[in-house]
This record gives sequence, structure tokens and C-alpha cells, in this order.
Amino acid sequence: MADHTNRMTRIVDHLRANWQIYVLLAPTIIWFLVFLYRPMYGLQIAFKDYSVFRGIEGSPWIGFEHFHTLFGSDQFIRALKNTVIISMLTLVFGFPMPIILALMFNEVLNQTYKKTVQTVVYLPHFISTVIISGIVITAFSPSSGVVNTVLDWLGFDKIYFLTKPEWFRPIFIGSGIWQEAGFSSIVFLAAIAGVNPSLYESAVVDGASRWQMMWKITIPSIMPTIIIMLIIRIGNLLEVGFELIILLYQPATYQTADVVNTYIYRQGLQVGQYDLAAAAGLFNAVVAFVLVMTANTISKRYSRTSLW
Amino acid sequence: MRKMKLASAILMTTAIAPVAHADGHLQIVDEPLELTIHMHWPRAQGYNEEYPVELAAREMTGIHLLDATSGKNTTDHNEAINLLLATGDLPDIVGGHRIKDAVNQYGPEGAFVPLNDLIEEHAPHIKAFFDERPDIAQAISSWDGNMYYIPYLPDGKFGRAYFIRQDWLDTLGLEQPQDVNELYDVLVAFRDNDPNGNGLKDEIPIFQRQWEELIRYVTLWDGRSSGSDTYHDFMDVDGQLQHPYATEGYRDGMAHLAKWYAEGLIDPEIFTRGSSSRDYLLSENLGGMTHDWFASTSGYNASLEGTVEGFNFVPYLPPASISGVRMEEHRRIPFKPDGWAISHTNENVVETIKYFDFFFTEEGRLLSNFGVEGDTWNMVDGEPVFTDEVLNGGIAVNTQMYEVGAQIQRGYWQDYRYEWQWTAEAAREGIELYDANDLLIDQFLGVAFNEDEQRVYDRNWTQIQTYMLERQQAWILGTGDIEADWDDYVAQLDRMGYNDVIAVMQAAYTRQYGN
Repeated sequence: MADHTNRMTRIVDHLRANWQIYVLLAPTIIWFLVFLYRPMYGLQIAFKDYSVFRGIEGSPWIGFEHFHTLFGSDQFIRALKNTVIISMLTLVFGFPMPIILALMFNEVLNQTYKKTVQTVVYLPHFISTVIISGIVITAFSPSSGVVNTVLDWLGFDKIYFLTKPEWFRPIFIGSGIWQEAGFSSIVFLAAIAGVNPSLYESAVVDGASRWQMMWKITIPSIMPTIIIMLIIRIGNLLEVGFELIILLYQPATYQTADVVNTYIYRQGLQVGQYDLAAAAGLFNAVVAFVLVMTANTISKRYSRTSLW
Repeated sequence: MRKMKLASAILMTTAIAPVAHADGHLQIVDEPLELTIHMHWPRAQGYNEEYPVELAAREMTGIHLLDATSGKNTTDHNEAINLLLATGDLPDIVGGHRIKDAVNQYGPEGAFVPLNDLIEEHAPHIKAFFDERPDIAQAISSWDGNMYYIPYLPDGKFGRAYFIRQDWLDTLGLEQPQDVNELYDVLVAFRDNDPNGNGLKDEIPIFQRQWEELIRYVTLWDGRSSGSDTYHDFMDVDGQLQHPYATEGYRDGMAHLAKWYAEGLIDPEIFTRGSSSRDYLLSENLGGMTHDWFASTSGYNASLEGTVEGFNFVPYLPPASISGVRMEEHRRIPFKPDGWAISHTNENVVETIKYFDFFFTEEGRLLSNFGVEGDTWNMVDGEPVFTDEVLNGGIAVNTQMYEVGAQIQRGYWQDYRYEWQWTAEAAREGIELYDANDLLIDQFLGVAFNEDEQRVYDRNWTQIQTYMLERQQAWILGTGDIEADWDDYVAQLDRMGYNDVIAVMQAAYTRQYGN
């Protein structure tokens, strides 16, 4: 009993001493509760025959029927496959780019030149997806697009890129890198700026070349940042930026372009099958959860860096 | 700003007072009655309580509509109505764009009031309309046999037409093509003989703003692209429902279209050029023919006068198909899925249906079509005629009407005289030409599913349609040969449940329209 009172007093004291910090924390907690935890209540419609008018409680349970429907559908399986392929390719090609960019910026000595180039590569990040899709469609247009004009000069045949399934992924991933690589490099630049300068000084004294300094000092020093960013990326792996896909794909390219989110959009939201859409979304989230858990465990074991 | 609005509203009210019907024969209530309304449609997300039409309707009927629109921050009408239903807090009247499926699905669940008995007892003008058009009453009913909304009823028959560059034909010494073979020759001449005279082979014989419209050309080989004014819809062949993309006429037509595409007779960028293609290809003097709306397409003759020398883009009769049939597959549907419904929370159901009926009276029709008399139009020799300010206002007449609250998507009966007055001369001639020939075919007006049928349809149809469109584009682009692929395609449709979908459609069809 005394022990209990004692603990209560300690908690009250703690709160009294640190109340400002808890007030600062409150908005974030409220945000999480309202926008992330409360909606989880609605996930149950994935197991119900949901009618918007009857509401969540009023709709009857139907068990795993929506999941049966999904896995019985060739198009869902194809969308799942495309999601994995596009995410993996984005990770393999897209993840190293900002690191390479940051390392390159770090080696540039002329400050004016460095600032100009940085600004130029950050810019695409601030352009809205709709504009990006317009730029991509124009650039790859067979009649007036810059890409086909160059192909034509070089004596190749013009290609109607956006209707060719085999070209969809390169175009999508390439435009993603073009848009985000510059902005994502900021994190790595910041990490590089935090490397202790004395390490470089002693390396210079020892006669190390710039190349050696990059491999032996810069990269190992920013490794924890790289790994944390990688784990975060893996957590978002299945969140393919589907707005750009919707703007760029055609029935002719569904074969390689249709991902789970675009499938949900067409199959669920456009025709109002919210229950089926929720089932597909829930499945996507479960896979993403497993991926991030795995990545975190592996990282913890081998590099002692982890999210938690 | 708000004060300005209020002031002008008061001015409006006083201005219309003299022409309002002082005898009050249209009054529904003695004491003003306020009803709330959800009104979500592409032009405006919400109902403006200060529309001159609303003010005049208040004056005449005593009923005030108050805006209670859900989802004003989205332009997606589907989302808006689902949001409204999900909140469970329905306003008295639910109106706007594409409400038919929602009211027919949730009406039987109790969300909306069935209108049949109400119309019978309290709405003589609506009743008279449906007595005249029992087919429309059937078509808008839900699976339980009840009507749950009063539709927006468009007037006029023709929508789209075939247009061709008459000046290019003249330059090359050609006549308007009368059948599909002549059309082919003309298109080849457009491609090869430099009708725009710039020395480059840059002409694009066929272009379309919507790529789906290209599929319409399969009618030239006796195929079909849709059974209604919506793309990819089912069709009614003597009481049997089919999907046009599962028929052999479609196969043959698509085989020819693929050939035309490969030969460069069709815009190579047909799938990505999008809505500005008509603007671009006409003003750059590159496009040869298209299938598009009468009114807007004729308008280019005026807007490009002086920009493109000799520009003359005229509607011409649909070329005869291989079996000699001239068909214009597109026509205006006699009713829209837009309109308004009474929700289950409404406590003044009788007054509401009487208010709906008001828009089917002569005064209500004029008001909902032309705006307030003396303000936007006047009666001249018994005909409503727009004022000069409206006709020559520099803004499209329909836009002006939307601003005063006329022609908005309430349940009303459109009057074609509204559109005819501002249709360009070239388009009027075209419409008369089309009207003089028997070109139109009957439309499939849709079915209402019960819950089980809805489930079968939802589960299968979106996937089947996705597959159909994938194959469709692939065949046009030449990745696949429709004649070689056809049997596999049909087999795949079967595997995906095409016959189940047709079976539920047919069951719903029989229930709704009889045999």
C-alpha cells in the first residue's frame, strides 16, 4: 500500500516537473489517435458486407469472403506482383541515388556552383504530381516529345512509350528518381556535415586521397543514417506513389503498371465497393508490417542500428 | 462582399415581384416552409440560396431551400453522396449528379422515400409526364418496383455527329464520303495528298478527344461500341442483353480499326493526347475528321475564322456501313441519373413532392430552363426568347443559366428551345440533316439490381471491363491480332464470369421491363 502511494506521488511529481513537455507532446498524440488509431475501427468492414447507409455496426459480418474474392482474381494477383516489382526496382535504383548525389555535392569545392546545382535538383520535388505527369507525357510523346526527337535524330524509330507495357516501369521509376533524388539527398548531406572534421584532418596528415576519405570516413560515418532511411523505405515499400501511376497508365499498360493501390481505386472506390477496398488495403498493410519487422530485425542483428 | 450579395438579392426579389404570380395559384404552403437540400454536381458543389431562380420559386411556392450539401470540398459526386449517407444525417432533399444508383440501392434499405404513391396523389404534372413516358418510369425504378428520384430529363435527340474538313475535300477535289470504302479513300488522300498545303505529311486524318470515341467507328463494320450514351455499356438486342465487346461485329470492326491505325489514318497519339486534341489539331490545321458534339465542334468555324485560312469543319451524314446501314450510335439519353430524391428524415413529404411537381408546371419549367422572366428572357409571340444580353453576353449561355440557378441538376424537364437559340447556324443545319435521315437506334436504359445481383455484378464486372479495355487498346496498337486472339478472348471472358453478369442483368431487365 505504502509502495503504491509512493509510486503515485512519484508520477505526480514527475508530471508536475515536466508538464510543459507533455503539453508539447499532446498534439502529436491526439493526431495519432484521431487520424491513425480511430480509423482502425473501420477496418472491420473488410470482414463485412458493408452498406454506407446501414453503417459499420449495421452491416452483416461475412468473414473472409472479400479476401477469397481478391485471391481468386488474376488481376489482384497481377497487381500484387507489379507492386512488389515496382517497389523493389524503386528501392534498388532509387535508394542509392540521393546518397550518391550527397557524396558528389560534398566533393564540390566551388560554393556558388554547388548551391545552384542543389537548388536545381531540389526543384522537381515541389512540382505537383499532375504537372509531373504532364511533363512526362509531353516528353515521351511520339510526335513532339524531346525523347522521340532525339531518337529520330539518331536514326531510330519513334516509340509510343506510354502505351508500351515494357516501357512503363523504366519511365515511372525514372521520373520518380528525377523528382525525389535531389530532395532526399538533404538528409544525407546533413549527416555528412555532422562527421567530425578531425577525422579528415588526421587522414590528410596520413596522406589519404579524397577517394579513400570518402570510402573510409564519410560512408562509414553516415552508415547509421543510411540504414535508418533504408528501414523507413522498406516500411513504405508497398506504398507505391499511385497518383502518378493513375495519371500515366492506360488499359494498354495495366499489364505492368497496375498496382494494388490503383486496383483498389478502380475496383473499390470508383464503384463504391469500400469493403473490398478495405480488405485489399488491410492485406497491403499486413505485408508492409512484416517487411519492416524483418528489415528491422536483420539490421539489429548485423549492424546494431534499428528503429526500435 | 456578403452585404453586396444580400443587397443584390433584395434588389432581385423586388425586381421580380411584379412578374411573380400574384394570384398565388402555385402556392404550396401558406406559411413559408424551409427544406434542406444536398446538391452536388460538376459545376457547383452546393446549392446557392440566392439563385434568382430559387428566389422566384420561393415567391411562387412558399418553399425555401436551404443548402446542406455534404462533401463540398470534393468534386467527386460519388464520394459526396457516400459521405452524406455515411454520416446518417440526411437533409430533406438529396439532389445532384448521378444519384440514381445510390437512391436505387439505398432507397429499398430505407434511406429514401418511395415516390410512386406520392406522385399519384400529389403531383399531377409529374404523373402526366410519366403517363406519356412509361418507359422512363420503368427505367428509373429500383428493383423493388418503386421510384426513388425525379430525374433531370434532357431534351433534344442528337449529341454527336461526324465532322469533316469540307475545305480539305474541296482542295483535293473530293466529295463527302458516303460509305466506309469512300471514307477510307478520303482518309488516305488526307494522309498523302497534303490537303493543308504546307508541304509536310503531317495531317492526322482521324482524331478524337476521348479515345473511347474511336471505338464508335466499329459501327462502320456493323459492330457496336456501347448500348447507351455511356461508354462501354451493355446493349439491348431485341430484349436480350449483350455486351458489344463480346460480339462478332465488334471483332470485325476492331480488326479494320487496327489496320487503319497501323496505316496512319488515326491519330498515333489517340490514347494520350486527351481533351485538348481537338483544339490543338484544328487550330494547327492538322486534323481531318472527328466524331464529336454538334454545338461545340461547329463553334470552331467561328473561332478559327482568319486563323486557319478557309477553315470549314462541317457535320456530314454517317458513312454507310459495309451492309449499307447509316447509323449514329450516340444520342442523348431521355433521362439522366441526375435529379433529386426525398430522404427518410423529411417531415414534409407531401409539400416536397408538390415542390418537385412545381418544376413540371408550365411556370416551373420555364423558370428551371430559362431563368426568371423579364430578367434573362421574355415571352415573344408565345415563345420564350433569351434577352440580347444573355445571347451576346460573351459567356456561354449554359454557364449564365447555371449562375442564376436554371439548368442545374434538380429533377426538371429540359426544354430544347433553350439550347436551339444559341446553337450556331452550322450546327443547326447539321441537326436538321441528321433529323431528316433515320439514323438513331434505341438505347439501353439500364437496370436496377437487387442486393444479390449487385454483388455478382460488382464482383465480376469491373474486372471483365478492365480486361476488355486492355485487349481493346492492345489490338488497336497492334500488340495482338484480334482475329487470332478472339477465341481465347471469349474463353477468358467466360472464365471471368461474363455469363453470370449477363444472367443477373437479364433477370433485372425482365423484372423491370417485362418480356
